[in-house]
Amino acid sequence: MELNRIERYWLLAVTSVLGAFAAATIVAVAFFGIRLPSPVDRIDPRNLEQTEFARPGIRQLAGNRYEAYIIAKSWAFEAGPGLGTPPTLRFPVGSEVTFYVTSIDVMHGFQIEGHTANLELVPGQIARTTVRFNRPGKYSIICNHYCGAGHHVMYATVQVE
Amino acid sequence: MASISLTQIEMPASPRTLKLVRRERLLVGAHILTAFFALMIGIFMGPFQTFHRSPTFVQYFPTIPVFSYYYQAVTAHGVMNALFFTTFFIIGFMYFVTERSLQRPLRFQQAAWVAYASMFVGLVTMLAVLLLEPQRSAVLYTFYPPMIAPAPFYLGLVLLVLGSWIASAILFFTYRDWKREHPNERVPLAVFIMLVTFIMWDVATIGVAIEILFMLLPASLGLLRTVDPQLGRTLFWFFGHPLVYFWLLPAYVSWYTMLPKQAGGRLFSEPLARVAFIMFLLFSVPVGVHHQFSDPGISASSKGLQAFLTLVVSIPSFMTAFNVGAALESAGRNNGAKGLIDWVWKQRWSDPVVAAQLFGMLNFIAGGFSGIINASSQLNATVHNTSWVPAHFHQTLGSAVTLTYISVLYWMLPAIRGRALFSKRMAVWQAATWFIGMTLFGLAMGEAGLNGAPRRSITGTAPYVTEPMRFWLDVTAVSGVILLISSILLYVNIFGTLFLSRQPAPEGEVPITTKSGDTTSPLWFERWGIWLGVLALLLLMAYGPVFAETLDFQSGWNIQRYVPSSNAPMP
Ligand code: HEM
Ligand SMILES: [Cu+2]
Ligand SMILES: [Cu+2]
Repeated sequence: MELNRIERYWLLAVTSVLGAFAAATIVAVAFFGIRLPSPVDRIDPRNLEQTEFARPGIRQLAGNRYEAYIIAKSWAFEAGPGLGTPPTLRFPVGSEVTFYVTSIDVMHGFQIEGHTANLELVPGQIARTTVRFNRPGKYSIICNHYCGAGHHVMYATVQVE
Repeated sequence: MASISLTQIEMPASPRTLKLVRRERLLVGAHILTAFFALMIGIFMGPFQTFHRSPTFVQYFPTIPVFSYYYQAVTAHGVMNALFFTTFFIIGFMYFVTERSLQRPLRFQQAAWVAYASMFVGLVTMLAVLLLEPQRSAVLYTFYPPMIAPAPFYLGLVLLVLGSWIASAILFFTYRDWKREHPNERVPLAVFIMLVTFIMWDVATIGVAIEILFMLLPASLGLLRTVDPQLGRTLFWFFGHPLVYFWLLPAYVSWYTMLPKQAGGRLFSEPLARVAFIMFLLFSVPVGVHHQFSDPGISASSKGLQAFLTLVVSIPSFMTAFNVGAALESAGRNNGAKGLIDWVWKQRWSDPVVAAQLFGMLNFIAGGFSGIINASSQLNATVHNTSWVPAHFHQTLGSAVTLTYISVLYWMLPAIRGRALFSKRMAVWQAATWFIGMTLFGLAMGEAGLNGAPRRSITGTAPYVTEPMRFWLDVTAVSGVILLISSILLYVNIFGTLFLSRQPAPEGEVPITTKSGDTTSPLWFERWGIWLGVLALLLLMAYGPVFAETLDFQSGWNIQRYVPSSNAPMP
């Protein structure tokens, strides 16, 4: 099969650029610890009693580290008592928060404005992401996956202070 | 028997004449016109969606009279544009290209009408359920479980896919007959691309067919009370990614085999084109998981492998860019271009057929690069499910593919109707305003998305909209106005050609190639069994672990069903 010379150069250039992309991805995973969400566990939405989601809310671990258990349901986020509706989660500047989120009905989404946190909440699965809050401010947690008639009003707030 | 009746079937005087015989006008015409009927319904929702999403617009016009239930409109927009318009158009266009290139009528003429009828009944069923059950059928064109639509929604899709399967069988048999008579010839490139398109489509639709037949339809009928959403999503995206190549490859038929002649140039290299399309066939299916990077139920290693394969599938697109670019350069030089880059604008911009494709390509360049950003798995986390995503696919599907289909319409509609195009100038303006509108749409939706605006949401009234989001969403509405004007120009021209045009259709030629210009590519490129085997292996590698992770009948498959309009589970 005949290939033109310019054509061969082009192919070479394209493959090397994409090779560099692939290498960058591998470096990001291997050396910078950037991870895609991976399975935490399955859960039965009709049977939360035995799980951490029986008491959704914020738990402080050592130092500036926190865990937050949040339930998504049509059409609100539930993060425990006393946080208001829609809930406001407060964290000090510099906290590192691991969110555990699960949906108990349809698909929902979990996206924190201005931060790299973006989860698909698939009912029956637990989703997890860790976020560092370095800048004070108010950030919305937006349901970014269509979940029915009330989708556009489903949100919560993170207050970093 | 069949061969006797085949010889009696009317064929055009020459494979390249623009004069269609009655049989072609009916069959191809029915598909193309139905496609543009579906697009008409879908497309007019688009601008109103941008209005619904704009806070300032909603402030001044709190009730938008057209399609006032937003999620019904988005469902109709997605289903009509992405599924019905494309499928009808592709089948009609591929019937035409195959018959003309192989110089033989389709095998099984009646079956082609059976396929059409199936798809048409599917279209009517779908429209009926969208109109009569706006709340309950608002499950969007991705219809993720456990949200369940009324049964006719799925039935409409089943009939559409069934028709497309029959159509693909007709096309495969037509090719097989040709091949038997020409064992030592390479099939013309257009038909080669057609075969890749439909083989890929048939493999991909297996995923969605299983999802609908074994999960969604029984759940909708009440035969199943629980479903597995993670499995449903995985089956959907097994289909969903090759779907975008199903849309794109027929546009490539026009870019590779027609545009060079329409623009006055010549195709640079045919053997390489074949390699590119084989790569599309092999690598467009085992990459569906790149739509699920954020899914909790799939491991990072499965995601990583498919992220890598996704980079591979961009190689043939770069090859296309090179090949088509070279063809256009030769056209520009023939038009008198001398400098290094003046061939870019020394093109036949006054011919709507050429202009529409060139404008589409310009959008495609932006769309392609934003696509690679989506594909890089980490960057994906910042744009996933934001309005960046529709910004991306309106450059590719909404502009490059759609404008190319429209360019085919601009030469084919006069041939179908037997009358000249109502207005060539209007057609050029339509393509130009579409390009301007889609460019602005991409910019504004993209920026809104980077500022956190979610897709598929009534952001016009949502409580979380910030100032920068608001600004860019308002700009999107401006692009909606431009696109509304462009859509009106398109349909004035279509109805004008059908009902008002008095000029006879111009005598002309269709750029059809009946003999492959390629004499060096190996003949085994057409041993489709080999490619199916390799594809099966790749699928096993890429999808085996994914299904092993998601299939779990012990603790999975236990999620109750919901309708989109209520937060209580279905009984
Ligand atoms: C008049 C031109 C158009 C305009 C103004 C327009 C506008 C829009 C908007 C604003 C959305 C986002 C809705 C949301 O996420 O809330 C959207 C979604 C979409 N559009 Fe278009 N569009 C146009 C043409 C097209 C065309 C020609 C196609 C395909 C052939 C198309 C296919 C889609 C699809 C598949 C979606 C996704 C629907 C979903 O998220 O469920 N659009 N469009
Ligand atoms: Cu939600
Ligand atoms: Cu939602």
